[in-house]
Amino acid sequence: MSQTIIKQHIPRDDLLASGHLACPGCAAPIAMNLVLKALGPETMVVLPACCWSIIAGPWPQSSLRVPLFHTAFETGAAVASGIKAGLVARGDTETTVISWAGDGGTFDIGLQALSGAAERNEDFIYICYDNEAYMNTGVQRSSATPWGAWTTTTPTNDPEHQPKKDIMAIMAAHRIPYAATASVAYPVDLVEKVKKARTIRGTRFLHILAPCPPGWKTQNDETIDLARMAVERRVFPLMEVENGGTWRFTVDHPGGSIEEYIRRQARFKHLTDRQVEIIQDEVDARWGILSNRVEHGT
Amino acid sequence: MSERDVTKPHDTGRKIPPIAISETSTLVNPTGSWKYIMPRYEDRVAPCNAGCPVGIDIEGYMYLIGQGRLQEAADLLVRENPMPAVTGRVCHHPCEDSCNRASLDEAVAIHSVERRLGDMILAAPPPPAPERTREETVAVIGSGPAGLSCACFLARLGYGVTVFEAAAEAGGMLRLGIPEYRLPRAILDRQIERIQAAGIDLRTSTRVGTDVPWAEVDAFDAVFVAPGAHVGKDSRIDGAESVSAIRPGLEFLKEVNAGGRPDLGERVIVVGGGNTAMDCARSALRLGADVTVLYRRTPREMPAIPQEVREAKQEGVEFEFLAAPIGVAKEGGVFTGITCQRMELGEPDESGRRRPVPIEGDTFTTKADTVLTAIGEDCDLSFLPGDIGTTWGLVEVDELGESTSATVFAGGDVVDMPRSVADALGAGKRAAIGIDHFLREKAGEDVGEVPLDDLRFGGGNVSALRYSKDADPIPREAPVNQTVTWDQMNPHHFQTAPRHEDHFHDAIDLRSAFGETNFGLSQKEAIEEAERCLNCGVCNRCELCLIFCPDMAISRREDGGFEIDMRYCKGCGLCAAECPRGAVTMTREGI
Repeated sequence: MSQTIIKQHIPRDDLLASGHLACPGCAAPIAMNLVLKALGPETMVVLPACCWSIIAGPWPQSSLRVPLFHTAFETGAAVASGIKAGLVARGDTETTVISWAGDGGTFDIGLQALSGAAERNEDFIYICYDNEAYMNTGVQRSSATPWGAWTTTTPTNDPEHQPKKDIMAIMAAHRIPYAATASVAYPVDLVEKVKKARTIRGTRFLHILAPCPPGWKTQNDETIDLARMAVERRVFPLMEVENGGTWRFTVDHPGGSIEEYIRRQARFKHLTDRQVEIIQDEVDARWGILSNRVEHGT
Repeated sequence: MSERDVTKPHDTGRKIPPIAISETSTLVNPTGSWKYIMPRYEDRVAPCNAGCPVGIDIEGYMYLIGQGRLQEAADLLVRENPMPAVTGRVCHHPCEDSCNRASLDEAVAIHSVERRLGDMILAAPPPPAPERTREETVAVIGSGPAGLSCACFLARLGYGVTVFEAAAEAGGMLRLGIPEYRLPRAILDRQIERIQAAGIDLRTSTRVGTDVPWAEVDAFDAVFVAPGAHVGKDSRIDGAESVSAIRPGLEFLKEVNAGGRPDLGERVIVVGGGNTAMDCARSALRLGADVTVLYRRTPREMPAIPQEVREAKQEGVEFEFLAAPIGVAKEGGVFTGITCQRMELGEPDESGRRRPVPIEGDTFTTKADTVLTAIGEDCDLSFLPGDIGTTWGLVEVDELGESTSATVFAGGDVVDMPRSVADALGAGKRAAIGIDHFLREKAGEDVGEVPLDDLRFGGGNVSALRYSKDADPIPREAPVNQTVTWDQMNPHHFQTAPRHEDHFHDAIDLRSAFGETNFGLSQKEAIEEAERCLNCGVCNRCELCLIFCPDMAISRREDGGFEIDMRYCKGCGLCAAECPRGAVTMTREGI
């Protein structure tokens, strides 16, 4: 066999319509489409402020073929908790509620609501599609922005100082039943994780890396290739965490130099070779920590 | 929003503040207007097809096997190659050298799959002879691969064909030159019977120029000349003429292949590095001799098929490189061996191989009971009339095999250099097209020029299916006649899988055995091997483009293909970048 025949693993019907307002080559609609394929029509989406607030379409349009609730930046997890509670009160225990937030709405502004909901183990799936900055408002850094990256608030003469926040460790520390990372470049892995999450009750968390051509300053057709490279080179390992303690990798991560991954993104153009080495060291160190978690649990 | 809208305030019967609700879709937004470049499904040519001297749609039959359509795969194969059971065994398979999969792991074992399909074809009764639709008749001189190929394709084009064969049985070099352990006679016989069943009149033991005059073949509406190359080149060993132990290798092979088992003595030297030399060496080995191949260059320059060399070594043939025979060694007037000159490699010659240069004064003598010379063959063209142009002992022809004389076409070993079964089969096919075109034009049909570039697979040989404008069993999307290269493909979606290697006879049993040494693959293995094919350049409906299109602009068509809705395609290029096989092209045309 030469190729995994993807159509045998992924549901065929799209619950996302064309004509949405994502930029060309954006990973966010690919991620949404895959997630909705996996969840099916019995789904409701809560959307705090993020790129997707625009992608979904202006009033009176919606690009989703399932109900969608726009809400304020910091409230994704709180509103999802409420909608789920409302559904249960009406006797609907089957509909899956997801909160679909960007990295800003997850790592920064929505973290308090997310932490609260996770601590109460509210019954919804929180999905963060992470393009590593506030892209919708014009590329401001978030706590998901990687070290060394250019954004409008971390200009090239003073680029991002902080490494990316370890959101998976934060979520695992809440001991929620299921947390996972996923990538648009690994659609079968992504769909399987969403399907698995759907069968679990309680707070489930999914972190999807979503390359952004204008924000990362890459070509429109590089999105999937970069997402794939991020996984292969261990920048964004694909894993699952069950009950906050059992860590598991779900694909192979051959490793290798991250130089090509960095150099192909013009948001890192100003970095010296030495600085790229620093990123490599950071990636290697995190991989070591992660491997340790996989081996020994936390 | 959707029909099952539970967020509407009146739904609950309670007071909820009014909120804005979307009830239409984004489908009203023609976001495709943002693009400055757009994708197009454009199938390309797989490199194996372009690399096949016969002009076989290899990728096509692999695709059909992958779909479980074995019979259609066999039909497509035999449509372009009249003797797959033969080529599956003896072809030097340049298709595998050009296979893109080699960049991923290992080339697909195309020859093994072809052989399996070829044997499957032989197991079934031959199809009914094609209908005779043309009045004209064509004479074919020689029943080797070139002659039989041309005859077969001409019969399929509706002509009456008569084949003249000098030997007692048809097959040319396939029968006379190739030993049984590589090509069992039962296979060859059945393959030839099948070709004959196309309604071909085969006249064996009929040498043109001797048994029938040239005028008799010239009376046909066209002639295809493919008598092969049967005259061994002079060995250039001083004093060899008077020594009967030094003989042309081809003559020895003909004797053995006809059932003769000559006594060669204990020690045999074979001179040469080509396929004839390998055949001589391995045949001599089977007659019980110790065999050494003497070659004046190094293993790198050997023209023999590497697989043949490997097998010869495995069977125990010794090799002496950078040595050329120069004289006869005798003791008391009795032949004892040959003296040889040590060589070294100098500058590259016109063939690109480094030229062997003698090392002054460095000679040695080696013992031999028999010396078989296999340093190439010449053609006997003495039967041809003088108005047919020749150069360096080869007939001059154009791309469709037409010689300087209008009704005479030629192909195979009298034209090709280097020579191979596959090239001969391909030349026969081209000449059949050339003859058909010539005769139609002569009959007053408005045929125009043969669209040769369009008929070729990429830059490779011509397709008979394309020439006849027959329906292609493979659904092809706007095909472009360009070979797809590995860097135009996306290897990330492929998994590695080891190549299935042919099963071989145990080397220990080989001496004195002329039975087939290579057993090929089982049906199951051959199908698995076919499934390793990447279908380079051709959409096989894997649907990755549908998954990766961020704009849901690609949809499935009723006929199995895909359609891109340009109202919504933003021209990001992800479909083209991620297509594993390079079947999507980005273009600015039409924007």
